[in-house]
Amino acid sequence: MKPKRRVVTSGAPAQPARRRPTVRRIKPAIAPLQRRDGPTGGQLPAASRATTAGAAPASELPPASESGPIRETDLSVDLGRGLVLRNPVLVASGTFGYGIEYGDVVDVQRLGAICCKGTTLKPRIGNQPPRVTETPGGMLNSIGLQNPGVDAVVEKYAATWAGWEVPVIVNVAGESIADYVEVVRRLEGVPGVAGIELNISCPNVGKGGLQFAIDAEAAGAVTAAVRRATDLPLLVKLSPNVADVRPIARAIEDAGADALTAINTLSGIAVAPTRDRPLLGNVFGGLSGPAIKPIALRVVYEVAQTVGIPIVGIGGITELADVLDFLAVGAVAVQVGTAIFADPTLPVRLIDDLAGECRRRGLDSHRSLVGTALPKRATASSARGVEYRP
Amino acid sequence: MRLAGAELLETREILPGQWLQTYRAPELIAGARAGQFVHVRAGDYSGLVLRRPFSINTMDPRAGTLTIHFRVVGRGTAWFTFLRPGDRIEMLGPLGRPFEVDPRSRHLLLVAGGLGIAGVRSLADEAIRDGRQVTLLFGAATARDVYPSSLLPDEVEYLVATDDGSVGHHGFVTELVPDYEAWADQAFACGPLPMLRVLAGQAATRGRRLGVASLGRKRGGGRPPPGSPQARRKAFLQVSMEQNMGCAVGACLGCVVKPVSGAPVRVCREGPVFASDELDWQGGW
Repeated sequence: MKPKRRVVTSGAPAQPARRRPTVRRIKPAIAPLQRRDGPTGGQLPAASRATTAGAAPASELPPASESGPIRETDLSVDLGRGLVLRNPVLVASGTFGYGIEYGDVVDVQRLGAICCKGTTLKPRIGNQPPRVTETPGGMLNSIGLQNPGVDAVVEKYAATWAGWEVPVIVNVAGESIADYVEVVRRLEGVPGVAGIELNISCPNVGKGGLQFAIDAEAAGAVTAAVRRATDLPLLVKLSPNVADVRPIARAIEDAGADALTAINTLSGIAVAPTRDRPLLGNVFGGLSGPAIKPIALRVVYEVAQTVGIPIVGIGGITELADVLDFLAVGAVAVQVGTAIFADPTLPVRLIDDLAGECRRRGLDSHRSLVGTALPKRATASSARGVEYRP
Repeated sequence: MRLAGAELLETREILPGQWLQTYRAPELIAGARAGQFVHVRAGDYSGLVLRRPFSINTMDPRAGTLTIHFRVVGRGTAWFTFLRPGDRIEMLGPLGRPFEVDPRSRHLLLVAGGLGIAGVRSLADEAIRDGRQVTLLFGAATARDVYPSSLLPDEVEYLVATDDGSVGHHGFVTELVPDYEAWADQAFACGPLPMLRVLAGQAATRGRRLGVASLGRKRGGGRPPPGSPQARRKAFLQVSMEQNMGCAVGACLGCVVKPVSGAPVRVCREGPVFASDELDWQGGW
């Protein structure tokens, strides 16, 4: 199970020196110390941890190839297994289709990565409309994983993706572990597929949606099964619809995931204006948008202190301040989702804004902004005089 | 599809709670056609996280202006009424696929229910410019909701039905359709789903009731694939559909309707205009 060298993009210039410019996790380096239980014999946890723990000085990294305002600052981020993104701004699954829908309006090649629409083994027609509605500071969606199935996705889009500079991470959903494994097998080795994001937390489907995300054992089992089936970089998307996300995150890390995405939507309901039924055709929907940002920050904050693998933060990002917040609580990258609907150019603008912010603060890389709001490593309690340790 | 600024030129309440706004957005309407829509961002993002889709009600490519016609139904639409001439907002468009008028069609029947007038209004202009005859059947709940005839071109024959009989025909607008079925070469409709469902039923049986002859298969191939512009052009009735919408470019799959066969189709991408025989009107899922 030695990680293969993976060509993320075919259009990109060769970049031998920066194949793995490891993420310098300033504060989260404390995370392994806080782990009480060791790896439970899972696949490759040690290998994946090594990539994040070994810190390379950011100054060694050469500037990226192209000219432009953002190129002076190194925004690259390593999500493990050679999945190195040029910048930490991704677009979230379900909000950006397959990367082609926004056409000329968005310069998709500038993005850190694209997470495509949730993909299942068989085609799915999705839920009955209405499927979306606006709520205060957010929106509810209940698409129900409508997609043409993994084979059709590969056939229709993979060739296009292979010609892109931007890596495409395929979001994978399923009803059973066997489903997940089969979808991932069919994506393995397909040019244009740069990674897998395991969607074990979709709140909008009956079977297989949340069941894997709310139980640490099940989450670990599906991650381990997928890990055995593929050498692709593997992200797992966490659900906030749980009492305590930490054991689940730990189980997923131990099962060999390369990175975590946090968070998926929160389950919610809207009522029809006539008040005689729920508004959405599926009754329940997933809440996203600025309304869930505090919850997302809390989950990232908790998970960052629990696991050593990189965390991709997502939930209500609409401006640079939100990106900085997510970095501060320990995310190494972020996904933009709902805000794209209002402002399709936002993700690309955030890249420039982040680079500008780093320049303004005199930073080589945004990575020194990661984890700054996490509890400090020093024994804080003794500093406050609560207890005394000589 | 472009993302462009739009400057408000004129805003007025043409009916109780219904507004007509004129915007200057030359880049946006270059190449726009009747039946397409724009996705407009309300400025107050803190609460309004989604754009609002509006049919292009009318457009004037030479002046670079377009109008939208909407009813205030919530905080988003209310926000637009607070805008004053000179204010700038941002629009994404033109989006969706337009009405397909057969070049041979002389008589067009437009059927609108309530605010559905905004969906077919620009087609009236386009058809009259092309020298076709247009009859507009308009249905509303009561007289105070009836679209002012002063806002229509003089050449349009305009008939009104109201549910309470306060003006025009007493009853549903669909009851006026049989009188025009034989006259019309093509029909175009926009309005509430029950109205469209009845119209689709009428259109499905029209050929049989009127004894329209099918002239056999043409040389050079069979029927155009369902959903293609050619198939829509051949259909008697085209409908402009409405659905809660997210991205409006086809990425989020929020705004789907069910076709007769196959996966759900997106109102924003495959629509908003569909041939009536493309869609499953029974509502099952």
